[in-house]
Amino acid sequence: MTDTSQSRIDAEGMTADTAFRVRMRRLFGVLQGLASNPATVIGLVIIGLMLAMAIFAPWISEPNSPDPYQMPRDWGAVRKPPGTPGHLLGTTNEGGDVLYGVIWGSRTSLQLSLMVVGSTMIFGTIIGSIAGLVGGWVDEVLMRIVDVFLSIPELIFALAIAAMLGPSFGNIIFALAVVLWVKYARIMRAQVLQIKQHDFVDAARVIGDSKLNIYLRDILPNAVTPVTVQATLDMGNVVLIGATLSFIGLAEAGIAEWGVLVSEGQAGIASGRWWASTFPGLMIFLWALSFNLVGDGLRDALDPRTEGR
Amino acid sequence: MRAAAEPQADDLILSIREVKKHYPIREGALQRVVGHVRAVDGVSFDIRRGETVGLVGESGCGKTTLGRVIAALADPTEGGVHYNMDGMMSRIDRLEGKAARAFRRNCQMVFQDSFASLNPRHLVIDLVGRPLKVYNEATSANLIERVVELLEQVGLGRQHLYRYPHQFSGGQRQRISIARALALNPEVIVLDEPTSALDVSVQAQILNLLNDLQKERNLAYLFVTHDLSVVRHMADRLVVMYLGKVAEAGETQAIFDSPHHPYTRELMAAKPDLEADANVEVRGLEGNVPDPARPPRGCRFHTRCELATPACGWEVDDVVRWLEDAPGMFEHLVGVERQTDFAARLAFDSEEAAGLLSMAVRSEQVPEAMRAAMRRLNLDGDKVEIEFEDVGEIGLTARDDGRMAACVLSPEEVASWKRT
Repeated sequence: MTDTSQSRIDAEGMTADTAFRVRMRRLFGVLQGLASNPATVIGLVIIGLMLAMAIFAPWISEPNSPDPYQMPRDWGAVRKPPGTPGHLLGTTNEGGDVLYGVIWGSRTSLQLSLMVVGSTMIFGTIIGSIAGLVGGWVDEVLMRIVDVFLSIPELIFALAIAAMLGPSFGNIIFALAVVLWVKYARIMRAQVLQIKQHDFVDAARVIGDSKLNIYLRDILPNAVTPVTVQATLDMGNVVLIGATLSFIGLAEAGIAEWGVLVSEGQAGIASGRWWASTFPGLMIFLWALSFNLVGDGLRDALDPRTEGR
Repeated sequence: MRAAAEPQADDLILSIREVKKHYPIREGALQRVVGHVRAVDGVSFDIRRGETVGLVGESGCGKTTLGRVIAALADPTEGGVHYNMDGMMSRIDRLEGKAARAFRRNCQMVFQDSFASLNPRHLVIDLVGRPLKVYNEATSANLIERVVELLEQVGLGRQHLYRYPHQFSGGQRQRISIARALALNPEVIVLDEPTSALDVSVQAQILNLLNDLQKERNLAYLFVTHDLSVVRHMADRLVVMYLGKVAEAGETQAIFDSPHHPYTRELMAAKPDLEADANVEVRGLEGNVPDPARPPRGCRFHTRCELATPACGWEVDDVVRWLEDAPGMFEHLVGVERQTDFAARLAFDSEEAAGLLSMAVRSEQVPEAMRAAMRRLNLDGDKVEIEFEDVGEIGLTARDDGRMAACVLSPEEVASWKRT
C-alpha cells in the first residue's frame, strides 16, 4: 500500500486490515451461532476439558516408565476400589492405575482421531474433487471404487484389515483411515458437482482465471461446510470404532487406551469390580457425545440458508 | 447482417458464423445418444464496435445458449465465433496462449442472476479486483484505488469495498457485476438478461448506466433478453430467434415499425405497449414452442403461425400433433410408419377410425394451409397414407429494403395481415 492511498483510506475510517476485520466478523458470527445452542456449548466444554487433559497428561499424571503409553503396573495394589490412596479411580486386575489410563487414554484417542480424520478428510476431499471436476470415466471409476468400500460395513471392514495386519494401535489407525475416506469423497464430489454449476464459476471463467484458481477460490471454499461437519462427527465416531477394535484385542495389550481398559475390566464386573470398565467407558461415551453435539451445532451454524444473512 | 455492405474490418469485433449448439439426449444404462436438442441451429450475425445487438426470443429459443457460446463458456457443435484480432478474424475456440487471453479480456459477460454470479464468500474488493489480479493489471498497492475507480463508474463507492454480495440490493449487485465486467476494459460485453430480475425503476437505472458506459468507452453489447421494451430502448440492431434459428434481423426501429416475420409481429403484439392505442387488443402467442429435439421442418414457426401457407414446410409430424389435440382420435392411432419426414402411413386400430381421420383431414377441422400442402391422402383399410412436399429449409433471405427475414411471405403480405 502506498502512503497516499493508506492515508486516504484512514481519513475515511478504513484501515488496511479492514478486509481482515470484516472476515473475522463473519467467523465470529458463526461462533455466535454455535454459542446460541446450549447443547453445542456443553459439547464444546467437554471437548475443551478432554483436550486439556490430553495436552497436560504428562503433568497431571506423571509417567514412571520409559513408554508413557504403557500402563504402569503396581503389583502391590491389584483390584483396588476407587478411593484407594495413590489410585484415585482404583486399579485393574494387573495393578494398572485406572486414573492413569483414563488420562493417557485421552492422548491416545486424540492421536487416533486426529490422524484418522485428518488423513481421510484430505484424501477423500482430493479424490472427491477430482471425480467431480474431471467427470467422465474418471468419475465413474472412482465412484465405483467408493461404492465397493461403502458396501462393506465400516466396523467389519476395519476389523478385517486390522486383524490381517496384526494387533497394534498403529494398525487400527491405518485400518480406520483406509475405511473412512470414502465418505469424504462422496460428500465432496456431490458438492463440487453442485457448485461448479453456479454462475459465479462461469463468471470466473469469463474473467479467464485458471482452473486451479477457480477450484481453490470458488469451488473449494463453498464446498467444505458439509465436509467440516462430517469431520467433527467423525472425531467422535472414530474413537468409538477404535475402542471397539481394541476392546476385542486388536491393540497391543497393556496400552493406555480406553477400549483396552474396558476390555481388561469387563471380567471383573460380575464380581463387583465395576470401576476398571466404567471410567474408561464413560470417557468413550463423553468423547463421542461431545463431538456429535458440536457437529450437529456446526451443521446448524453453517447452514447456507442462515449463514451470513 | 450478412447481406449488408461488407463491414469495415477494423469496425468488426465478433462475427458469428453458422453457429450450432446441439446437446445430446442420452438414454438407458449405456447412455446411448438417442437424439439432440438443437438449442442453437445455425445462427450468423456480426457485432461491431460501439453498437448494441439485441438478441430476442421466447424462453427456450436458444438465445442464452448462443450468448454462452459467444462468451466462450460453451463450444459450438458446428460453425464458430470469429474474433477480430488486429484485422485478422480467428475462431475463438481455436485461439491459444496470448491470443486466447486477449479474446478473454475483450469479451466479458454480465449474468441474469446477480446473486448467483457473485461468489458469496468474496468481498466486493475481491470480486471487482479479481480480473485485475488475474492479468496482473494492478499491484497490491494500487488495487484498492483501481477498484474504487471502477465502483465509482457504476455509481458505487469506497464505502462498499468491504461488503459481501448479500449486503446489497439486486440493483447494486448488478452494478458490482458490471464493474467486474468493465475492469479489463473489454470491447464487447454479453449481457444475459441483465435487468429481468430487477424492479422496473431499478431496471431503468441499470439500462441508463449501461448506455452511459457504452458512450464513454465505445463498448459493444450483445443484449440477450425476452423483453422487447428493453431492447427497443437499448439495441441498434435486433436478431429475433425462434427455436434455435434467426427469424428476422435488422435495424431495431425498422423492425418495430414493420416486422417482416409473422413471429416478430406476434411477439410485439404480445407485449402491452403504453404508447399504443388502448383499443388494440393485447394477445399472446398461441400454442406451445415445439420440442427443440425435433424442430418442425421448413419454417420452424409454421406450427403456430396464423399466416402459414402451403409452402411453409408441412410434414407428417404436423398431422400427428393435430391428432394429439383432436378429441377421440389420438387413442386410435397405433403406429406411424414413416418413410420420410414428409411421407408416412398412419395405422389405426380400426378402419372406422382411419376413415374418420381421412375425412377430418379433408375438412375445415385442420388448418387450410396444411390441407392444401398435402400431396397425397390415401385411405387403405385401417391405414392412412399421407404425403407432403419437402420444401427444404426456409432460411434468412434479404428483402427489398435490405433487411433479413426467414419467411416465405413478402413484407407486404406480413404487413397487410389483419388479425381476424
